[in-house]
Amino acid sequence: MVPSVFYEPPQSFKIGNPGDFPYGPPTFMADEKIFVFRDRDRGFAVASAVCTHLGCTVAHFGSDQKFHCPCHGSVFGADGAVLHGPAPRPLNWFEVTVARDGQLNINKDKIVPSSYRLMV
Amino acid sequence: MERRLQQLFFALSLVALVLILAAAWQANTPSWKTYQRRFLMLESQGEPNAAAKSAVLGTPLEVHQVLLPGLQRVDRCTTCHLGVDDPTMKNAPEPFRYHAGLGPHVSARYGCTICHGGQGLATEKDAAHGNVQFSETPLLAQNYIRASCGRCHKEGDVPNVPELAEGRHLFETQGCRGCHKLNGVGGSIGPDLTEEGASHRSPEWLERHFLAPNTVSAGSAMPNFHFTKDQARDLTYYMLSLTSEEMGTYFSSMRSIPGPGYGRQLFVEKNCIACHAIGGVGAKTGPDLAGVTTRHSMGWLDEQLVNPELVYPGSSMPEYDLETNARKALVAFMSVATPEDAKSILSGRPRALSPDEVSVEAGKQDFSRFGCVGCHGTELQGGVANPNAQGGEVPSLLHVSDDYTKDEVIAVIRNGRVPPIENASAAPPPLYMPSWKSVLSDEDIHHIADYLWSKQQLKKESW
Amino acid sequence: MNLIREIWQSIVRRDPLTTDKGKSELVFLNVWLHIHPAKVKKENLKFKHSFYLGFITFFLFVILVTTGIALMCYYRPYPPQAYQDMKDLQFVVFMGPFLRNMHRWAAHGMVVCVFLHMCRVFYTGSYKKPRQFNWVVGVFLLLLTLGLSFTGYLLPWDQLAYWAITVGTNIGSYAPFVGAQVREILLGGHTVGEAALLRFYVLHVAVLPSFVILLTIVHFWRVRKDGGLSRPVWKLAPPKQQPLVTIGAPVETVALNVTAASKDKTYGLMEVVTGKPIFETVTPEEEEDTVFSYPYAFVREAVVLMATVTTIMMMSLFLDAPLEELANPAKTPNPAKAPWYFLGLQELVSHSALLGGVVAPTLMVLALLAIPYLDRNPSRRPVDRKLILWLFTFFVVVNLVLIVIGTFFRGPGWAMVPPWVHVVAGAE
Repeated sequence: MVPSVFYEPPQSFKIGNPGDFPYGPPTFMADEKIFVFRDRDRGFAVASAVCTHLGCTVAHFGSDQKFHCPCHGSVFGADGAVLHGPAPRPLNWFEVTVARDGQLNINKDKIVPSSYRLMV
Repeated sequence: MERRLQQLFFALSLVALVLILAAAWQANTPSWKTYQRRFLMLESQGEPNAAAKSAVLGTPLEVHQVLLPGLQRVDRCTTCHLGVDDPTMKNAPEPFRYHAGLGPHVSARYGCTICHGGQGLATEKDAAHGNVQFSETPLLAQNYIRASCGRCHKEGDVPNVPELAEGRHLFETQGCRGCHKLNGVGGSIGPDLTEEGASHRSPEWLERHFLAPNTVSAGSAMPNFHFTKDQARDLTYYMLSLTSEEMGTYFSSMRSIPGPGYGRQLFVEKNCIACHAIGGVGAKTGPDLAGVTTRHSMGWLDEQLVNPELVYPGSSMPEYDLETNARKALVAFMSVATPEDAKSILSGRPRALSPDEVSVEAGKQDFSRFGCVGCHGTELQGGVANPNAQGGEVPSLLHVSDDYTKDEVIAVIRNGRVPPIENASAAPPPLYMPSWKSVLSDEDIHHIADYLWSKQQLKKESW
Repeated sequence: MNLIREIWQSIVRRDPLTTDKGKSELVFLNVWLHIHPAKVKKENLKFKHSFYLGFITFFLFVILVTTGIALMCYYRPYPPQAYQDMKDLQFVVFMGPFLRNMHRWAAHGMVVCVFLHMCRVFYTGSYKKPRQFNWVVGVFLLLLTLGLSFTGYLLPWDQLAYWAITVGTNIGSYAPFVGAQVREILLGGHTVGEAALLRFYVLHVAVLPSFVILLTIVHFWRVRKDGGLSRPVWKLAPPKQQPLVTIGAPVETVALNVTAASKDKTYGLMEVVTGKPIFETVTPEEEEDTVFSYPYAFVREAVVLMATVTTIMMMSLFLDAPLEELANPAKTPNPAKAPWYFLGLQELVSHSALLGGVVAPTLMVLALLAIPYLDRNPSRRPVDRKLILWLFTFFVVVNLVLIVIGTFFRGPGWAMVPPWVHVVAGAE
């Protein structure tokens, strides 16, 4: 009933070298629907861009460091916690590791707490 | 009551019949048929006798389309624009006018939308021209259409479109790659430009953006490069041509291999004679290229151009970002190049470079290609604003040897560096030195360091 | 010629329609028509009682199947060809826009009429004994209709379709225990993609229509067995009392004991079975108020069919079905709305995901299914049923208000924006 292979982007994938990602505002990757955060002191964190309410793609604004969903007005804080709106759960943070070839590897099947960071 | 109901039934059936006929009539009288009839009238006027005239007028009316399955495009423009391939329609009113100057780019092979934009699937004027809600590709304005040539012709000078080569040249020399990725190479501070031609940003927006980035992109860290209007236009043309839609390879796969003439042009442009000789004429740093196509296969030579270090680890030959056609052209040139060609190329050049000079030259090429000039300036003068960094701007590199050893500079290029912050509670500076160790090889970084050292201004002994 | 008459009579084997026998045979000798009784009660034909909503719904379904099959010749359920085919239907298929519009407006019409039909059946109390289970079958038909509309909504593969289905399937995933699994099976993956389009297409053209046809057969059969279309029994005149007169006897009014004839009149196999039937029967008095199905019933059905077809055609000539840009998973329109019949639900969900998305609709469906069994009042007269009528009306009005709010009063970010305020679309 559920297919054994999916014609979709894979759940575990590489996104490039650490040096490709800037500090400051997160990099939004549209196909993978993730935000890649890179902090100078603490390293990498990857947040899901899919609103936990009904699946719309949230936007991140640098002005208030929060995630806003255009569909029903849910607002998530910088750590993904629900501040406002009908979203029932905080945004997911995905595990990010360094692969053997030095690239960053994201695994969407592994949800990690919002405090998780990868120092490279 | 029953009689009335029966009458009502028949009346409604009649109404239904009328409505179906109305729908069929509506479907049978689309606007394109009117255009086609007008065109046939026009065509028949050019016929010499009555029999020929009526033959033309009897042509059935149908939708015309050009299928480009490899590009998933279907262009139906020629349903109304019937005279595009007909030279006798030079002076016909639009939409029937002949499209002069197409050369080999006939509509039957290329369609129309790859140059003009618009919605190829549509058969109504407004929808086809993209002037409707929910259309993603409106027609490209007249004065920007020639930018589309760059979507296939990605290298070299495109005839009649000097703006593209100018734009590309500006892009490579003004350091855009320092912040913007293109085809996988470049910095991550600004957005990736590989698909900019397909981004549906209007040409007017792009031009305004080049002239004053902050007026169209609020809060952007992109400095104002003070381009002239012409330069902004050239860059806009170049941007409009950027798309990874495989149009060049789709068409070239059909036939010709670019010729040695183009290859010679590239040989000169990339300054190959600075390291190579042909039949003894030229430099001695790299191997002599005479007869190289008899010693090595086309594939080997192609790979050498793509990735010199794969074939010769430790090679100081830079990686040139060449498209498939450009590489084919260079190899084609090498198969016919003679010492006379080398002499004539050299005659416009200063003497060949020594190995040290090679390193500096390679470093200079890399410094420009990888976008360092975007922040550090074409003359290494720095000066780009970087709010809240100590010093308030990107530093000049002309005096870097005063404070750092060469190895320290190499380490900074490899690992990157975050500028020290002036005010800890304000927003951090938007610009910083990225880490290049995964992009540049150690050889390249050494070359860059050599280049920097060659440019150092000696400290004045006295003030 | 005799041969022609012979051929005709080998096909049409009934007596001529001018005879009563012929009129009866037209019905019970014909496989397509014999669901009808040969004679119907006049009250069954009252327009103002049923408004023929059941018929209208059925005819809309027929329109949908016909136009749907025609559309199947021009549609490939694979992105992005699906969208290209929609454009082709719009521009190059002969009568393509008309065909697509017919399908779209008949679909919306069917959802509306199914709902109105349910309301009518409720208000006339036609779900009461012995018709309780037919109401249950009807509720399943309602759910199937919504399912058909929902699966069809995705097929154009434009922004409207893609995001409406994303929102809709995410609402469904809130169901406890099974929600996420059911969503994955429905989508054939984790997100709306090519697997989802293919599965929705299969559901829309094969699986769900088959179930609708099967249940419709049951639904019609039970209506017939339950005594035909419901009629306003509370309005019928009491049975006529006729004095029994003996020919030749003195004609003075003699108070005779008159009793109504027994209500037991059996149908069926008269010589084999015994016992009383469970369904409604026709009393001898009512029998005088029956008329032949041909032409009385059939002409009304024919008029309803033509009126439905003509209305949908009028709409299709002047109103175009929407088509937005190609579906873009990276770009969410603001706001992203479910199809209109689910907007009430989306409004509820925007306040509370669990309560609005799972609890409320489940309770609504369970309540609907339970109505015929919880309602112990045997009377069908409106005056005897005031409470339940008010409750139902309240439920209907609340639903409509929620849908209206979701449609007209919710703007970008799901903020409350009255429709008379001109909202400028947000920049990209």
